[in-house]
Amino acid sequence: MIKFEQVSKTYPGGQQALRKVDFHVEKGEMAFLTGHSGAGKSTLLKLISIMERPTVGRVLINGHNLSSIKRREIAYIRRDIGMIFQSHQLLMDKTVFDNVSLPLVIEGHTRKNIAKRVDAALEMVGLRDKAKSLPITLSGGEQQRVGIARAVVNRPPLLLADEPTGNLDPKLSMEIIRLFEDFNQAGVSVFIATHDLGLIARMKYRTLTLKNGQMITDGLDEQPNEGLLV
Amino acid sequence: MSLLFKGRAQGAESVKIGMFQLIIMFFTDHLRQAVNSLGELWRSPFASLMTIGVLGFSITLPSTLYVLVKNTEQISQQWEQASEISLFLREGVTDASAQQLLTRLRLWPEIAEVAFISADEGLKEFQALSGLGDALNYLETNPLPAVVLVVPTSKHASPTSAGILLNKLRKEREVEIGKLDIEWLERLYALIGIAKDLVTLLAVLLFFAVVLIIGNTIRLNILSKRDEIVVMKLVGATDAFIQRPFLYTGFWYGLLGGIMAWITVFIILLWIDYSMQDFMEKYQVNFNLTSMDLSTLIFMLLVSVSLGITGSLLSVQRHVKDIEPR
Repeated sequence: MIKFEQVSKTYPGGQQALRKVDFHVEKGEMAFLTGHSGAGKSTLLKLISIMERPTVGRVLINGHNLSSIKRREIAYIRRDIGMIFQSHQLLMDKTVFDNVSLPLVIEGHTRKNIAKRVDAALEMVGLRDKAKSLPITLSGGEQQRVGIARAVVNRPPLLLADEPTGNLDPKLSMEIIRLFEDFNQAGVSVFIATHDLGLIARMKYRTLTLKNGQMITDGLDEQPNEGLLV
Repeated sequence: MSLLFKGRAQGAESVKIGMFQLIIMFFTDHLRQAVNSLGELWRSPFASLMTIGVLGFSITLPSTLYVLVKNTEQISQQWEQASEISLFLREGVTDASAQQLLTRLRLWPEIAEVAFISADEGLKEFQALSGLGDALNYLETNPLPAVVLVVPTSKHASPTSAGILLNKLRKEREVEIGKLDIEWLERLYALIGIAKDLVTLLAVLLFFAVVLIIGNTIRLNILSKRDEIVVMKLVGATDAFIQRPFLYTGFWYGLLGGIMAWITVFIILLWIDYSMQDFMEKYQVNFNLTSMDLSTLIFMLLVSVSLGITGSLLSVQRHVKDIEPR
């Protein structure tokens, strides 16, 4: 599903964020990406959502080389990728319903269809009764779940999450991860960047670890702390 | 269609809907966005009114001048109807042959009226008007020629066609000199021409200013919605989708500015008309200022709307592209 081939990224100014990164997340797989802040996690996710372009190497999604995607096509690529952010990226002056329906409105669905799908997405994240609320009145965990509902409302084959449990306590974090597991079981590929090692330790998922822009572990992480504390 | 995933339907294609419903949806979507943009203006009435005011007044000035120039043209057309051609006949042309000339001229389709003033009549008139009185009796012969006054039909009364008629009349063998007193009319025409050019120049300059002002207002709008635009781009909105509400904002600025200009022009013309009545009464002339006709009004609104959209388009194409999620 996501394939990196010898990908390096150097920002203007000489800062090297990624060095020869190689990995492949299979279709229907759920995987974690860890590493200290500054290790290159965000850059790696930005290469997938084409917020940045690699300096060297190839990034492929479902076998399609992203370097062949023109600027005007990027919007369409993003419709295939459900993205979840630590900062939620919600529109604070719009209701939960309006926030979640945004991807569908952009794609031009009928009103009826939008109402149906938004309802289903909010049901999945357990916020059906909050449709008319403003995000600002919700707790951090609830806001994050609104973000997740928005990411899955158009049923993308791939979910990307950047620190989705960033500001949440362990219990809420686990709830969020359980949600991702549900989507994964429905056939969606899930790729989560997090530095919450305790969270990963409790689960048996493939973990990719970045350090200084290099991939240092790739596999089922039995002792997740080992790679990082060197 | 999805670019990455074959067979994954995107958007409206994922639900079976007919062509008719698609068209209906297209219009309802646009209508909804147009109304939303109008609502947005309504929510910040002061700022919106200032922009609309700039546009309205900028269009008011050239429009008012245009209407005034149009009116001046109409007045001058009325004066022009009175233009008269004087034909001075050769010495030795008898009154009888002059009458023959008159009969011939009456048949010309360009000529409405002819009048004959014989040399004697001319002298009498001159004597009466000049105040020279008996002094003229000392002249041995009458130095004045016989004159034929020709009034062209209204169709041939404009300076150019009257000029053509004059040249034709000059070729008549009885005619010594032909004179058409339209020089002052030609001058007036030239003046109106200059006034028209000035109005055009003024309009073009003001329109440029309006486009820049609208462009800048929309730019500020875009920047104040930066976060929203970033979010929309993250969930896959195209530039065109993001641009649309701003284009509608430009449209509303244009339309409302145009309507404002219309009302202002109307009031200004009422006022000018009122003060002119007083002036005209003193000169015992009956003249009513004609206001803007429907086609001018529609043209003005079209110009105004296209200025709004142009300003918005210039701004939107540049600034929406620049905002990218980081």
